[in-house]
Amino acid sequence: MWREISKFGKKMVECGLTHSHFGNISVRIGNKLIITRSGSMLDEIDENMVVEVDLDKPSSFDTLASSETIVHRQIYKETSGLAIIHAHSPFAIVQSMISNSDLLVPTDCESKYFLHEIPIISGGVGSKELAQNAANALKDHKGAIIKEHGSIAIGKIVEEAFVTICSIEHACRVKYFADLILRKRDRSK
Amino acid sequence: MFGWNGKVASIDLTERKIDVIPLGKAILHDYLGGRGLGVKFIFDLVKPGTDALSPENVLVIAAGPLTGTTCPTSGRFAAVSKSPLTGTIFDSNSGGDFGPELKFAGFDGLVLYGKAEKPVYIQIVDDEISIEEANYLWGKNTREVTRELSKMGKVACIGRAGEKGVRFANIMNGYTHTCGRGGLGAVMGSKNLKAIVVKGKKRMQVFDRERYKKYFQDIMRLLVASPVSSKGLSEYGTAVLVNLINYMKILPTANFRLSHFHLAEEISGEKINSTFAIRKAPCYACPIACKREVKDTRMEIPEYETISMFGSSCRISSIQTVMKANRLCNEYGMDTITAGSTIACYLELTGKQPEEEELLRWVELIGERKDIGQELSEGSVRYALAHNKPGLSMQVKGLELPGYDPRGVLGLALGYATSNRGGCHLRAYMIGPEIFGKPKLVNRLSFSGKSGLVQVIQNLFTAVDSLAVCKFALFSVGEEEWANILSAVTGIDFVSESLLEIGERIWNIERLFNIREKFNSKDDTLPERFFQEDGGVNGRNINKEEFLATLLEYYRFRGWDSTGIPTKEKLEQLNIGIC
Repeated sequence: MWREISKFGKKMVECGLTHSHFGNISVRIGNKLIITRSGSMLDEIDENMVVEVDLDKPSSFDTLASSETIVHRQIYKETSGLAIIHAHSPFAIVQSMISNSDLLVPTDCESKYFLHEIPIISGGVGSKELAQNAANALKDHKGAIIKEHGSIAIGKIVEEAFVTICSIEHACRVKYFADLILRKRDRSK
Repeated sequence: MFGWNGKVASIDLTERKIDVIPLGKAILHDYLGGRGLGVKFIFDLVKPGTDALSPENVLVIAAGPLTGTTCPTSGRFAAVSKSPLTGTIFDSNSGGDFGPELKFAGFDGLVLYGKAEKPVYIQIVDDEISIEEANYLWGKNTREVTRELSKMGKVACIGRAGEKGVRFANIMNGYTHTCGRGGLGAVMGSKNLKAIVVKGKKRMQVFDRERYKKYFQDIMRLLVASPVSSKGLSEYGTAVLVNLINYMKILPTANFRLSHFHLAEEISGEKINSTFAIRKAPCYACPIACKREVKDTRMEIPEYETISMFGSSCRISSIQTVMKANRLCNEYGMDTITAGSTIACYLELTGKQPEEEELLRWVELIGERKDIGQELSEGSVRYALAHNKPGLSMQVKGLELPGYDPRGVLGLALGYATSNRGGCHLRAYMIGPEIFGKPKLVNRLSFSGKSGLVQVIQNLFTAVDSLAVCKFALFSVGEEEWANILSAVTGIDFVSESLLEIGERIWNIERLFNIREKFNSKDDTLPERFFQEDGGVNGRNINKEEFLATLLEYYRFRGWDSTGIPTKEKLEQLNIGIC
């Protein structure tokens, strides 16, 4: 399973969806989850860079796992997702900072079809608040934006979560440039 | 002056003379407090070749500029002296609430020298210091002494081990908090000083409250975000490490002959949590609260190091036995790592395997320095040497190694070898980057890049010991945050680099002290067991050539010559006026 995580970890960095050792990926298998380790780089994942922890009860191995393990755990408990990706994708972060709403409505055709709307949630890194907000948002959305932090998505397989993360970033990027041009046009009128 | 009180009390126990010495801004800026201030005093006051248990040795107790503020984990202080176990300079850092109380009484530290004619204790009430008769306390263990004196203030004391000169006797405070490892309790005992009781009304003022509030929140946010501090240590205490370290195959087992204990689960943090109803017993101003005890009996939960030494290293799989051994050590005031490791050495040498009662009896005999305990109370180096088996002592510079097999964490291996106080994990806790990925996960099975990293982390830990805050916070909080909050408290501008430079200055003075005591680069090594090429443990051993090349590189990073001596240029750069 680490190979699947490694494959999409590399893609995420290549696509500029995350950098350095930011972001994390997990897969649920029964009542266990395999998650990237704290401090690991997503484009350098090997079998030593993931750790297996229980879904139901935290253990000492949580300390090796990503600081967002609490968030992944809560999402798995409350949704049917079997894979989660969290990225620090820049345009999603920018949109969360300039948006006045807790829902971002995509303006491009494909994102409208695919995502409908993207919830913007809040909560500190690795906090219970973020864990619950993310679980709530992902009950009826494929992905969400975490305020000033990044994006998070679920899927039945890692690839599905990856597609959603890419879609969110695409929607945010298109909206950013479209809004910029529209504002310029309004000012010049 | 903010952060500091600007004075220490110098107490001559022979002459029963007490002087208050003002501290200038320069020394406080260059050495901060805690470990740094203690090291400066010990370097200046202890003559080369001094017997650590003679009246000429000096014992410094010092708090730091953050001690006693509300800054997270700032309940710490240091005891510094020449160690009777290692012969090196030695600092022991402790939590609890003794350090803050010393600050509340108006002092940054105490400098203790000479030897009282009869047993005494020192009483400090605000600015008033007196030396009191302690015949009635002599012969008592730490719990009883603490109970007896605690109505007068916060107590730091020794037990029977300190009185009898056990070379790894501790100074205990608040029943379970220790100034451990190097035998500074024996130094205190050699001065006929049974205890120090302190009570103060003062509260530490902060220079810039607004900035302080912001930086306080920055630190709290980081502590919450890190799973090591907010989940691991908080939920399991340091016992969180047992299963992890065993999983990584670096859990010392049978005196480091093995690195995996098949019964580790039985002595793990998970086992403790499922067996006992636990309550937290945090140090002053600590949101992590790793210190824990059994709810009903108040029996203290042992630290990971204690579990690894009395547990896997002695091949004991009963957590109750480990807890009893831990309690005995705390009662007598003895270091659990050296006690456990010395018994493990004894077991290997004699081929014995202890029953529960036997292990506990040996611990007690060490505390009493009776029968086999007499020999073992000298520590594993002297014991193994006396039996012509020096290779069975798992130590560096005379200090027994703690609970991590260096064959599987090579940065820590270098950290052990270059530690100024001997085989210690806390000079540069490489388990952070090599196991927990804090601040960044690095390859634990390679020496590559470790020489530079180890010396930077050593400098940082030295500075943190001098602030004095808890090293466990370093899983989440870096030098930048500490420099920020120190600036807000003191009103003096510190940045990350100045903190690291202060750490480097202190580190170099410690090195100079040890060189003065005839230590040299040959002492910067590991027990031969780890270099053996017979397949090692789990197929791991340490390549000696690689190790020596990394050591040389480390010296270059430090600005030392190839024999490990600080160069004149380096000392000038650090404003150390001794060559």
